[in-house]
Amino acid sequence: MNRLRFCFLLPARIWFVVLFFAPLAIICAYSLLTRGVYGGVELPWTWESYQRMIDPLYGVILLRSVVLSAAATGICIVLAFPLALFISRATRRKNLYLQLVMLPFWTSFLVRTYAWMFLLRDTGLVNTALIGMGFLRQPLPLLYNDAAVLLGLVYAFLPFMVLPLYATLERMDPALLEAAADLGARPRAAFFRVIVPLARPGIWAGIALVFIPCLGAYLTPDLLGGGKSVMIGNLVQNQFTNARDWPFGAAASLTLMLLTLAALGIFYRRGPKDLL
Amino acid sequence: MRRRHFLFGSLATGLSACRRDRRPRLNVYNWSAYVAPDTIPNFEKEFGVRVRYVTYESNEEMLAQVITGNSGWDIVFPTHNRVPPMSSMGLLAPLDRSRLKNLPNLDPQFQSPSWDRALEWCMPYMWFGTGIAFNRSVAPAPSAWADLWSPRFKGRLTMLDDPEDVIGASLKKLGLPFGSTDPDEIRRAEHELFQQKPLVRAYLNAEVRDQLVSGDVLVAQLWSTTAAQALDVSPSLDFVFPAEGFPLYCDCAVILRESRRRELAHEFLDYLLRPAVSAAIAQSTLTATANAGGHALLPDKLRNSAALYPALDVLRRGEWPGTLPPAAQRLRDRIWTEVKAS
Repeated sequence: MNRLRFCFLLPARIWFVVLFFAPLAIICAYSLLTRGVYGGVELPWTWESYQRMIDPLYGVILLRSVVLSAAATGICIVLAFPLALFISRATRRKNLYLQLVMLPFWTSFLVRTYAWMFLLRDTGLVNTALIGMGFLRQPLPLLYNDAAVLLGLVYAFLPFMVLPLYATLERMDPALLEAAADLGARPRAAFFRVIVPLARPGIWAGIALVFIPCLGAYLTPDLLGGGKSVMIGNLVQNQFTNARDWPFGAAASLTLMLLTLAALGIFYRRGPKDLL
Repeated sequence: MRRRHFLFGSLATGLSACRRDRRPRLNVYNWSAYVAPDTIPNFEKEFGVRVRYVTYESNEEMLAQVITGNSGWDIVFPTHNRVPPMSSMGLLAPLDRSRLKNLPNLDPQFQSPSWDRALEWCMPYMWFGTGIAFNRSVAPAPSAWADLWSPRFKGRLTMLDDPEDVIGASLKKLGLPFGSTDPDEIRRAEHELFQQKPLVRAYLNAEVRDQLVSGDVLVAQLWSTTAAQALDVSPSLDFVFPAEGFPLYCDCAVILRESRRRELAHEFLDYLLRPAVSAAIAQSTLTATANAGGHALLPDKLRNSAALYPALDVLRRGEWPGTLPPAAQRLRDRIWTEVKAS
C-alpha cells in the first residue's frame, strides 16, 4: 500500500524537485558566490551580496515597490468589485463578460504596454483629443511618472482581482440580499454588511494575486516610468544585464521572495484558511 | 522589417528541418536589424549551407550564453570592448587571416584598432558613437554635453538608459575622462546627474526614436545609428557629436572557440567583408559599416551622412572606451541605481 502511494506521488515529487527546488537552489548558490568580472559567478563563497542588501538605498527602492504595489492593489479592489458584482448578477451574456475580462491575455503584455505608451504620450490619443476639444493648451505629462506606472500596474493585474471576486460573488445566494432588505437594510448597508463580508475570501485571494506580482514587476516601471522610478524588479534585472553582478541580483531576488513569503504568511494567518 | 525577416527566417528553418537537410549548418548570433534581408539567403545559396540566424539586444544577453563555452553558436558580434575579455577568457578562436582575403577592404582606422592591434580575434563590422539628436526647432542648437543640463529643455529631454554612456557624458561635461575609474571623479559626475534629473523626461534607448520623430522629445542623448534612422524619417531632426568628446563603439564579428565549423565561419566573415555585401547591409539597416570598400558603394546621401560617418576632425574628439575594472564598474552601477531611484 505504502509503495503504491510512493509510486503515485513520485511524478509530483520529481516535478517539484526539478522545476521548483533545483532552480531555487541554483539562485541560492549564485547569491552566495563572488561576482565574475564579465558576468557569471566565481568562487569563493561569501555573504557579501546579502551584506550589501542592508543599505538605505535598497530600502528606499523596496519601500517604493511596496507602496506602489499596495496602491495598485487598492485601486484594483475598488474597480474590480462593481465589475465582478455586475458579472455575477448578469442573467444573460455572463460568459461573454468573463471572456471580455480575459481578452487582454490573448495579446502580449509587452504590446499592450506599448499601446498605453501611444495613448499617454504628448502627441498621443488622450492629449491630442483633449487639446482638440479645447480643454488643454499644453499636453499633460501623462507618461513617465509614478501615476503612469500605477496605471500600468492596475491595468495589468485587474483581471486577477475580478476573477476571484466573481467566483465568490457568484456563489452568494441572492436570497440573502432580499432577507437584508426585508430586515430593513438599505442597499448601502446590505452591500457593506452582507456582500463584502461574504466576498472576503475572494478579496483576500485577489489581494494575493495582485499585490505579489506587482512587487516583482519590472516591465511596467521601465516602459511607463521611463526608467525614472526604480522598483525592486528593475534592480534585479539591472544586476543581470548592465551591472553584470549576478550574485547581488540573486540575493536581491531572494530577498524579494522572502518578503513575498512573509506577506503570504500574513495572508495565511489573517485570511480564510480554505483559500490559499 | 525585423519581424518580417524573423518570420521568413523561422519559416525557412522550419521547412528545411522538414526536409531533413544534410547541408552543414552555421550558427550566427547577431544584434537585431544588423543584416539586409537577402544577406543570409544569398550566403546559403552560394555556399550550399544552412544558417541558423538569431538576434539579441544586448552584449550581456549574448555573453550569458557564450560564457558557458557550450552555447551552440559559431559566430557572435560583441562590442569592441568585450573582445579582449572574451579572448582572455579563452572563448574566442583566432582568426586565420589567410582565409580572410577581403580583410584589406576594411577602413584604415579598423585595420589595426586599439582593442585588437593585429586583428587576431575579431573582424570590425559596424561602428557608431554617442551624441545628441535634436529637433531643428530648438535654437540655439545643442552642441555640447553641457547643453543637456540647460533648463530650456526641461521635460523634453531624454538620456540613454545606459550607465556607461550617461555617467560618461556627465564626466565629459566636467572635462574628465569618459572611462574614469577614480571614485572622486565618478562621484562628481553623479552630482551632475542629480542636478540634471529634474530636467530629464525619461531614460530611453532606441525607443526614443518615435518620440523624436513625433516631436514629443526635442533633445536626446542617442547612438548615431539610431539617430540616423530617425533622421532618415524626419527632416526636422539633426545630430551632433558633442564638443567635449564622445565615445565610439564598434561591433565586431568573432568566431567562438567552441565552433566546429571554423572554415565555414571564416567563409561567412569573408562574405560579410565583400564590398557589395557590406554596402547592401549598411544601406538596408542604416548603420555605419567598418568596410571602406562597402562605404564607397553607398549612395551619396548615405555615404556623406555626418551622423553615420563623422569627418576626421570630429572623429579626433572621439575615444574607444575600454573595459572597466570590477571596482569601478560596481561603483558606477551603484551610482546609476542612486540616480534612478532618487
